[in-house]
Amino acid sequence: MSAADLWETALGPVPSLGISVSGLVTGDVTRSVEATVITSILDIATKKPRTKAAELSFRQAQLAAAGDTLALAHETRRKWIEAVGAYEAAALVGRSQSAADAASELAAELGTTGALSKADQAREHVFTAELSAEHADAKLEAQLAKEQLVRLMGLWGTGTEFYVPDSLPALPANAPNRANIERLALTNRIDLAAGRLDLEAVANRYRLNGQTRMLSDAEIIAGAEIEREEGESERAPVVDVEFRIPVYDTSGLISRRGKLEYLRSANNLAQTAIEARSEARAAYAAVTGKHQIARHWRDQVLPLRRQIDEQALLSYNGMLTSTFELLNDAREGLESQLSAAEAKKDYWLAEADTTAAVWGGATGEGASEGGDEE
Amino acid sequence: MNRRQMLGAGIGAGAAALTVSAGQAQTRFRDLPEASSTDSPYTQVPSRPTTGLEYNPIVTLNGWSLPYRMNGNVKEFHLVAEPVERIMAEGMVGRLWGYNGQSTGPTIEAVEGERVRIYVTNRLPEHTSVHWHGLILPSGMDGVGGLSHPAIPSGKTFVYEFDLVKSGTFMYHPHADEMVQMAMGMMGLFIVHPRDPAFMPVDRDFGLLLAAYDIDPGTYIPRVSEMTDFNLWTFNSRIFPDIDPLVVSKGDRVRIRVGNLTMTNHPIHMHGYDFEVTSTDGGWVRPEARWPEVTIDIPVGAMRAYEFNAVHEGDWAFHCHKSHHTMNAMGHELPTVIGANKKRVTEMIRKHQPGYMPMGTAGMADMGEMSMEIPENTIPMMTGWGPFGPLEMGGMFSVVKVREGIAPDDYSDPGWFENPPGTQAWEWTGELPEHASNDSPATILTPRGGIRLG
Ligand SMILES: [Cu+2]
Repeated sequence: MSAADLWETALGPVPSLGISVSGLVTGDVTRSVEATVITSILDIATKKPRTKAAELSFRQAQLAAAGDTLALAHETRRKWIEAVGAYEAAALVGRSQSAADAASELAAELGTTGALSKADQAREHVFTAELSAEHADAKLEAQLAKEQLVRLMGLWGTGTEFYVPDSLPALPANAPNRANIERLALTNRIDLAAGRLDLEAVANRYRLNGQTRMLSDAEIIAGAEIEREEGESERAPVVDVEFRIPVYDTSGLISRRGKLEYLRSANNLAQTAIEARSEARAAYAAVTGKHQIARHWRDQVLPLRRQIDEQALLSYNGMLTSTFELLNDAREGLESQLSAAEAKKDYWLAEADTTAAVWGGATGEGASEGGDEE
Repeated sequence: MNRRQMLGAGIGAGAAALTVSAGQAQTRFRDLPEASSTDSPYTQVPSRPTTGLEYNPIVTLNGWSLPYRMNGNVKEFHLVAEPVERIMAEGMVGRLWGYNGQSTGPTIEAVEGERVRIYVTNRLPEHTSVHWHGLILPSGMDGVGGLSHPAIPSGKTFVYEFDLVKSGTFMYHPHADEMVQMAMGMMGLFIVHPRDPAFMPVDRDFGLLLAAYDIDPGTYIPRVSEMTDFNLWTFNSRIFPDIDPLVVSKGDRVRIRVGNLTMTNHPIHMHGYDFEVTSTDGGWVRPEARWPEVTIDIPVGAMRAYEFNAVHEGDWAFHCHKSHHTMNAMGHELPTVIGANKKRVTEMIRKHQPGYMPMGTAGMADMGEMSMEIPENTIPMMTGWGPFGPLEMGGMFSVVKVREGIAPDDYSDPGWFENPPGTQAWEWTGELPEHASNDSPATILTPRGGIRLG
């Protein structure tokens, strides 16, 4: 099998697979392309026997490229969420401004009848004026967020005229059930696959053959002597999910350099696995937590705001409160909607980070916090 | 005297609404007069007394009189201070404190020279006391908690006993945590009838207490920390349109007794008559000290009784003359929108509140005519319908209905008065006479000889 053959079976030029405009336009932010990409690469990379060093290094390069793709996909997805979220926020600020406009209009009318002083009119007008500045700001922010997205996707010309939806998809009924996220991460993460391949390459280079036993990442980090005979190892901390690292018999090695290199690779791999576990747990905590928070806004805060709006209309009807108070309640309701939209955006960011934690591609910053990166 | 005889002195017209307390209470208070109670907010006309001394009972507007029993020569009553639910108008319940099932409490009626023994059972969560406003009695019976005697603890029954040394118009109310307990509705009339039935006789004797509450629209319980800004102005804890009318037969001598337990004065005005104050809570006013009035200011913590001969037939408004006291709960921070064109702004607002209706641009009368949904347990600020349209009233407003040939004990509503032909204002459809129109703000002196300047 030639390198060219391998390249073809590995699904062609990897970087374009990450995420597509059409996928985003349909608002299908949840669909994970990673699964299809990685699974096929990993299948090929791990199942076939490898003997040639050239083939191994080719595989290493392929995984690195796939890792880059995943990082780009992840970044693009986050930017898309931020851009759509910015348009949603801008629309809500626009509604606030429209409520303020109504109050301003009423104030002007009451100025002409002689019921409202210039000072009180100015108070209504200045509020509207400030809000329209905020609205302009929010619209600009959305536009800039879209441009960042354009850059990430490498679009130009008419390609930049794609449509960004007004609002993010509704919050799903449940956060993704990823109680097994640690296992998923250990099985699927591309950097771990790359690490395993590294280890294999070292073993291959120094002609180590016949792995003697498997140690877990935790055991290695806890300091199990890799060279020890089986049965002599200290008891390592018990973990539910194990990431198995093959340990080759290094006793026959003449080269001390080779031995050190092998040990370093094994340790690196173990360290990467430990970090992947932590990132996975953090991502899961973030996605479930953000889901609860967004749901709280949606199911607790917003219904209360609707109730306030309903009651505000009743007390306006009873001539107990004025039109200005009615509009003020409406504006406060919109502020809650803005916060709810923000919470929903945070959820989708956390959801994207979960995907990255399972398949790889997290850029580190913001990866497990799911927050803004401003 | 036994229980049966005591009940004989009780309620006539309202007997169906009268309930006697449960068996448990009967056992517990075996030796006490029964703690009568009513759940009716309507006027219950007392029947004439069959025991004790003769008197002409008072009709408590939207209230009732407390049954009594004679124990030897002593007239015994049982007042129960307790939380109550008062129907302040159809569609509004106040969670108040009162006596024997209602706020305001039942009227205590007795006769000059009698000795009364009043058991007061406290079913409130805190202590209380009863002050007998205006009555001459021993210092230790005066009901000021901590001063006259210890306040009545929750769950206890105290006994007040004194001689009624003079006739007149009095009231009772707590004097322990007084501000709160009165803001919650605890008060009642105490009428001492003259021993001599020929002294100051009247055919119809009405009584009411002015009480103010601050019950926010959408709520049920008064805000007890309010000092001045009350929003419900009541006759006996009832508001227009559901205060019963004062029904009178043409030619009757009528007395109306009004006590004020709010935090402000009330100029009580009655249409159609001039009349004289014949009594205050200090006693009867000598004839040479009276003067004619059409509005009587009732000071805070004071009572006035006025009398008139009901010679003018008709439906006569009877109300407090502070015009915001003939309104129900309303907003005070509303800008005046009279003359404003709300057409454009209405469209803008409906984007946010689709149910928005522009109101008030031609005055507030649309409030009396429209029936839009308002907060629960709230009576519209101005409401009520008469034979010719909306009354646009609330609070302290009722109607004195003088009709020919009403039976002596009949207080049922005779309906609206039919104005005799030619006695009702009519629409003039020609042109205004010149002297009736003027568009100059300058002072115009009408010259001798009737020639018009300007
Ligand atoms: Cu008044």
